[in-house]
Amino acid sequence: MTLFHFGNCFALAYFPYFITYKCSGLSEYNAFWRCVQAGATYLFVQLCKMLFLATFFPTWEGGAGVYDFVGEFMKATVDLADLLGLHLVMSRNAGKGEYKIMVAAMGWSTAELVMSRCIPLWVGARGIEFDWKYIQMSFDSNISLVHYIAMAAVVWMFTRYDLPKSFRLPVTVLLGLCVYKAFLMELFVHVFLLGSWTALLVKAVLTGSISLCSLFLFVTLVHSN
Amino acid sequence: MFEEASEVFDNMFKSSFPLTFIVFIPAVLILVSPLPTEAAHEFTVYRMQQYDLQGQPYGTRNAILNTEARTVEAEVLSRRCVIMRLVDFSYERYQKALRQSAGAVVIILPKNMSTMPQDIVQQFMELEPEMLATETIVPVYFALEDDELLSIYTQTLTTSSSQGSSSAAEVLIHTATANGFQMVTSGAQSKAVSDWAITSLEGRLAGTGGEDLPTIVLVAHYDSFGVAPWLSYGADSNGSGVSMLLELARLFSRLYTYKRTHAGYNLLFFVSGGGKFNYQGTKRWLEDNLDHTDSSLLQDNVAFVLCLDTLGNGDSLHLHVSKPPKEGTTQYALLKELETVASSQYPEVKFSMVHKKINLADDTLAWEHERFGIRRLPAFTLSHLNSHREAQRSSIMDVRSVPYVDLRKLSRNTKLIAESLARVIYNLTEKQVQEEQLSSVVDWLTAQPRAAQLVDKDSSVVSTLEYHLGHYLKDVRRHYVKADKRDPEFVFYDQLKQTMNAYRVKPAIFDLLLAVCIAAYLGVIYLAIQHFGVLYSVVRRITAPKTKQH
Repeated sequence: MTLFHFGNCFALAYFPYFITYKCSGLSEYNAFWRCVQAGATYLFVQLCKMLFLATFFPTWEGGAGVYDFVGEFMKATVDLADLLGLHLVMSRNAGKGEYKIMVAAMGWSTAELVMSRCIPLWVGARGIEFDWKYIQMSFDSNISLVHYIAMAAVVWMFTRYDLPKSFRLPVTVLLGLCVYKAFLMELFVHVFLLGSWTALLVKAVLTGSISLCSLFLFVTLVHSN
Repeated sequence: MFEEASEVFDNMFKSSFPLTFIVFIPAVLILVSPLPTEAAHEFTVYRMQQYDLQGQPYGTRNAILNTEARTVEAEVLSRRCVIMRLVDFSYERYQKALRQSAGAVVIILPKNMSTMPQDIVQQFMELEPEMLATETIVPVYFALEDDELLSIYTQTLTTSSSQGSSSAAEVLIHTATANGFQMVTSGAQSKAVSDWAITSLEGRLAGTGGEDLPTIVLVAHYDSFGVAPWLSYGADSNGSGVSMLLELARLFSRLYTYKRTHAGYNLLFFVSGGGKFNYQGTKRWLEDNLDHTDSSLLQDNVAFVLCLDTLGNGDSLHLHVSKPPKEGTTQYALLKELETVASSQYPEVKFSMVHKKINLADDTLAWEHERFGIRRLPAFTLSHLNSHREAQRSSIMDVRSVPYVDLRKLSRNTKLIAESLARVIYNLTEKQVQEEQLSSVVDWLTAQPRAAQLVDKDSSVVSTLEYHLGHYLKDVRRHYVKADKRDPEFVFYDQLKQTMNAYRVKPAIFDLLLAVCIAAYLGVIYLAIQHFGVLYSVVRRITAPKTKQH
């Protein structure tokens, strides 16, 4: 029944994307190709990041149990390139803010889903051994979908020329949070020694709060004019 | 007897003449005829030592006595022979007898010393040298007790002890009628013996392998010492030493007979006399060999001299040295071997080295090795005694029975010494069972499985064994056996080691359940996304009033 389990995980991971794509009205705009382009940009950005990390960051030679806070922080800083990539995608797409955000986010997160989750699921979930981590991985992909939507929204807001002064700070903070979310998560896990389900819950909460904040800001921005 | 004769005479003269005449003449004849020396009791007595050492006189100076017997309880002891039993012997009584210028002292010793309680024996042992040290003109004799002697003693005791306590009348009757004893010795006065030769014996086993071989000298003095020379049996000191020396001589002569076990050391055995008199035999032997001979084994290469003295008992062994041996010398090797053998093979034996410098100001030398030390030869003495002043080295109590010579301990000591000597002579320091070697080989062997199916001809076990054997043996060869093709004696099978995996699985129902849950979850997500607009408007409504206010 392990193929069945793979089917379960795949459905759990992929269906929300499908549903989002369908219900957000992107299909009406023939945005499929644009999403693919966004996905390609994602690949390119990841490649650059990897090269950069490999060249400039030495391997950590410390003890196995010690968590290199500073090193990991520096590595997380490289994730700023994600923001640049998102900005690039959005700037190339003409249209309303929402459209841009959704296209960028969909393409980006789908590319991430395909690249980083499909193969582990195919190889692992089909095996005899049952592990909860595949279900968790699928949940995680759902969470990252929401996260990328929020991130794209924040980036869009950041680049707006008509952003009110009072919004600058929250937007910057949210931006920082988005970039360092992965780092923060690892920190939480390491310091509080969270279990895998608890970590997932914390991640969901964190992402939920970020997205809610960004939604508030977005709505305010859009409807203030 | 004389009283009876006088009574007869009285009767003779009182009664009628002819009858008495018939009785008188034979009586006179009998009386006049030479009297056979018929005493009430005849017994052997052993005189205390009398000798001069280096001009100093020791012991008793007199030998003859012809006095009445008394025991020490009597009041008047002068010119009487004082009889004492060993159980009642004490130094104060002895001194009392001497002070009152007794005619002689006779000490009665029990026939079987082992019936004596140990404290009396010990006390007497310690008094012996003191008795000898005070030179006295009173002859002191020792006698072995028998029933008649005991009865003589008890009679003398009653006579002597009653003397003080009875009334004048009783005393008077006693003096007239009591049975007294006169002690008479048969011999003449003692005089110095001229030209007495103390004999010592030497023998050798020559080593093999060229000239100028090192020599090992084994020495033991065979004479004994005690308060009375005829009673000095010297079982432990030094009967044990001599018997050990003879046994070592026998062992090494056996070994030296065969070419393979003939070692490169000359062995010189010396049984010395006069050991108790400041090692006279050894002294003269050394003078003869070192001063008056052109070449002798003692002049050339002497590895060491081992003196054996008092080794018949005890659970300790002391190596007495006058100078601690330096590392790298043969003496040091012997010391180390004695320690090793004692600790590994005879753990009940406590071995130690006792260092005592030679004190030339003393009257006598302490141990025999000091004679050799004076002549600059490396020497030591092995003994179970810690100090040369121990009383049992010169006591008549030192007899064959158990407190002094325990045969098992003597043979154990002999084995220990023989083993240590052999190790030094044959240079066997490495040729013993080495525990570290054994343990490392066992550790290596048990660190891997060696089932026949696992050890093929290239395995490390086989090659290591081959290498190890090749280290010590010649012509190390391999030999293979394969099972016969048609009728095999043995067949082995493989797949003896596998890796097993344990996978966590959930039952099939679980997958269905999970599918149902996921479907439900997806349904919820779908609804949420469909009605996202609701959230949007809520948020808008929340934020809108604020903007209106602006």
